[in-house]
Amino acid sequence: MVDEFTQTLLGIMVAIIMLGMGASLTPRDFYLALKRPYGLGIGVISQYGIMPLLGFVMALFLVVPEPIAIGILIMACMPGGTTSNIFTYFSKGNLALSVLMTVTSTVTGVILIPIILLLYASALDLDIPREDIVRVLIVLLVPVAIGMGLRKLNANVGAVIEFCGALLALFFIAFIMVTWVPQNWQFLLNTTGATYVAAIGLGLVGIMLGYMFATALKLHPRNARTVALETGIQNGPLAIAIIVFTFPPDQQQAIMAVPALYSLFIVIVSTLVTLFFRRANTAAEQKMPDSLL
Amino acid sequence: MEHQNRPWTAFYRAGARAEITTPAYRNLADMIVAVAATYGRAPAFTCCLPNGMNGTLSFAQADAMSDALAAYLREVAGLAPGDRVAVQMPNCLSFPIAAFGVLKAGCVLVNVNPLYTAEEMARQFEDSRPHALIIMDMFADKLPRATAAHPIPNIIVTRVAEFLPVLPRGIVGLVQTYWDKSVKRIDTPHIRLPAALAAGRARIAQGADVGRYHQDVAGDDIAVLQYTGGTTGISKGAMLTHANLILNMEQTMELIEGVENGVVKGGEVALTALPLYHIFAFTVNLLGFYWLGARNILIPNPRPLSNLKRAFENYKITWMSGVNTLFNGLTNELWFRDSPPRHLKFASAGGMALQSSVAETWERITGAPVIQGYGLTETSPVLTFEPLGKARAGSIGVPVPSTEIICLDEAGNPVAIGEPGEIAARGPQIMKGYWEKPEETAKTMRGNWFLTGDIGVMDADGYIRIVDRKKDMILVSGFNVYPNEVEDVLAAHPGVLEAAVIGIPDSEGGEAVKAYIVAADRDLNGQDLRAYCKEHLTAYKVPKIYEFRDDLPKSNVGKILRKDLRAEALAELAAE
Repeated sequence: MVDEFTQTLLGIMVAIIMLGMGASLTPRDFYLALKRPYGLGIGVISQYGIMPLLGFVMALFLVVPEPIAIGILIMACMPGGTTSNIFTYFSKGNLALSVLMTVTSTVTGVILIPIILLLYASALDLDIPREDIVRVLIVLLVPVAIGMGLRKLNANVGAVIEFCGALLALFFIAFIMVTWVPQNWQFLLNTTGATYVAAIGLGLVGIMLGYMFATALKLHPRNARTVALETGIQNGPLAIAIIVFTFPPDQQQAIMAVPALYSLFIVIVSTLVTLFFRRANTAAEQKMPDSLL
Repeated sequence: MEHQNRPWTAFYRAGARAEITTPAYRNLADMIVAVAATYGRAPAFTCCLPNGMNGTLSFAQADAMSDALAAYLREVAGLAPGDRVAVQMPNCLSFPIAAFGVLKAGCVLVNVNPLYTAEEMARQFEDSRPHALIIMDMFADKLPRATAAHPIPNIIVTRVAEFLPVLPRGIVGLVQTYWDKSVKRIDTPHIRLPAALAAGRARIAQGADVGRYHQDVAGDDIAVLQYTGGTTGISKGAMLTHANLILNMEQTMELIEGVENGVVKGGEVALTALPLYHIFAFTVNLLGFYWLGARNILIPNPRPLSNLKRAFENYKITWMSGVNTLFNGLTNELWFRDSPPRHLKFASAGGMALQSSVAETWERITGAPVIQGYGLTETSPVLTFEPLGKARAGSIGVPVPSTEIICLDEAGNPVAIGEPGEIAARGPQIMKGYWEKPEETAKTMRGNWFLTGDIGVMDADGYIRIVDRKKDMILVSGFNVYPNEVEDVLAAHPGVLEAAVIGIPDSEGGEAVKAYIVAADRDLNGQDLRAYCKEHLTAYKVPKIYEFRDDLPKSNVGKILRKDLRAEALAELAAE
């Protein structure tokens, strides 16, 4: 389904994306997050409370074959993706909070993802390779740490890697579009509408629930927008990597359907949301003169 | 007519020179060379972009590169001593190279605001008649219109990422060309700065002697033509000499170096977010902190303020200069409040009145004081400065060494101590005059006293408070109301983001006070503010009319334009 070469390329791309994520961080970011853990707690709850529950409800009520249901669950249990940082940046959200939520959900995900996944999977009677998922998650934390080290060593190297990582995250979607979609064209035509509902709904409803949750807690609008995007935008590349590295080739096509479609549609959904958020932000921004003197 | 014993010198640090009349160097070029010889390979200038990409030049590199530019200007472009060279760019590594190169070539530097429109550029070019222009590519599209009336024979183009390492430079170049499209094709014939430096270096290798270009430049020769609207509104070039600038740099640094929590030679990291083409950052940051051996962190564009975040994260900023707008803006940024700079010793404010509420918030958040200075383009610019550790709320401090200040009444006679009057200043930093405008010069000089157009009050011990611009003063039933004072009170109200106060014709009292408010709190109304003002101001100073707005008109130099508000108000009254 995914050949050796594509698989390697996929691994390298995910590693670079994670490297770029690390390069945008400083130890000070962690210190500040720990100083004010409220925001982070909200992030973890929305990431591993709201999203998996949404995925579970979808898998339960949408009429889909078992592999598709596994795909929905895995996608819903993923940590925040680096694309959420890009969209937060463009929607003038709190980038530090976004990056931090992404990293925290990735780090805590090593423990939380297998637990939650197992919980919901057993409730749905699905079979999940738990140990393999943990292994892949841990391996992916290494480039995050390396990225942080590189930024500390040289700000220029850090900024370049950060830039490339962010670009690659967008390129990744194009990559899926040209490699995976044509190969699976027939499958995409035959699969039920419910698959598409899940792939689009996971992101869209996730963003809406995240925003409602953050607003209910009276977060600053900037932070509420950030939490919303962070909740709805999942790490698609990671889901695909996990599926490719843990499931046997004959099962991959169907399990990967939702993560792959999700990765495509989330760009459209997030772009629309970003345009909406930008307008809200421009109205609220501090006005500075053209020049300070 | 003068303070006989200059009581304010008592507030200088112990051992500070009360008189500084002979410059430490013959000219600025000598200063640049001597400082580079002392600090050599230490970092002098770092340009930090919003995403953290950066480039650094050492003192030795800045010296060698400006030598190359001087050789290019004199040998290749064929400029003569005293020829004007316009420099038009935001803060970047090319700025010090350009400014130092021009001074070393024995030419006159003309600082041009890069945000100028083509018409404004054309006026400044017509007046100063530059023989060469060093401009940033982002602004070069205005050249055909700006140089139509006065063609400039030599145009050198640079870019914001100039002298950064190759990868960041390439990325920034691609982004500027294809993503934000801030750089357009340049049709005017030009040479790129690196090519000009290479040509200059070749001439030096062939034996050109850069030292010869400036060996005859004297302290009294013009170093910079610094354009200003001035008190009369007509744009004119203040002729600042080498001695003016060297002495003003020394006068200012004398008071902040060697004092407790003050600056240390070779030990500072200075954040330069204010534009270097403006006289404040030019004298204090570019010249003063270079002279101190500090590392200058140059910020090309501090808007939005989040552009400063990486600079604060990646460098241990020990000193910064700013204006009220910048300090106010930063204290309103969440990321800044969360992790304020930990190594900051103090910050210096100038350019416009520093509101006491802003100064207090700043000190509470950063733990470091903001000390205020005062001066004008025509005075190179610093006239007064708050002695470090002896600041007084609302004061602009005391005169710097060798500077005398008096306050004059309408008739030109000194007022009594503690009474308001127009500030007049005398000292070695006062300009030589306005470029080719002797009648304008005559209007602002009375003997060797320079008339500032600002109304101030001097205490018995020499501390000065600015009350306002002479022309902004409001006359209410025979009482003088100074808009700054009222604005200061309004700005301290938690529901007010910004305030501007003007006088409008009034049948009862001649003039009435009108306040324009940008509210942070939507529920705020005129009654609340009137009640609040009554608590803090004498009755005649309390604004009669309150108008709420989304924003206030500001000049591209960030000052609130009271004259625009006045024109609007008068038009409204005429229409009624």
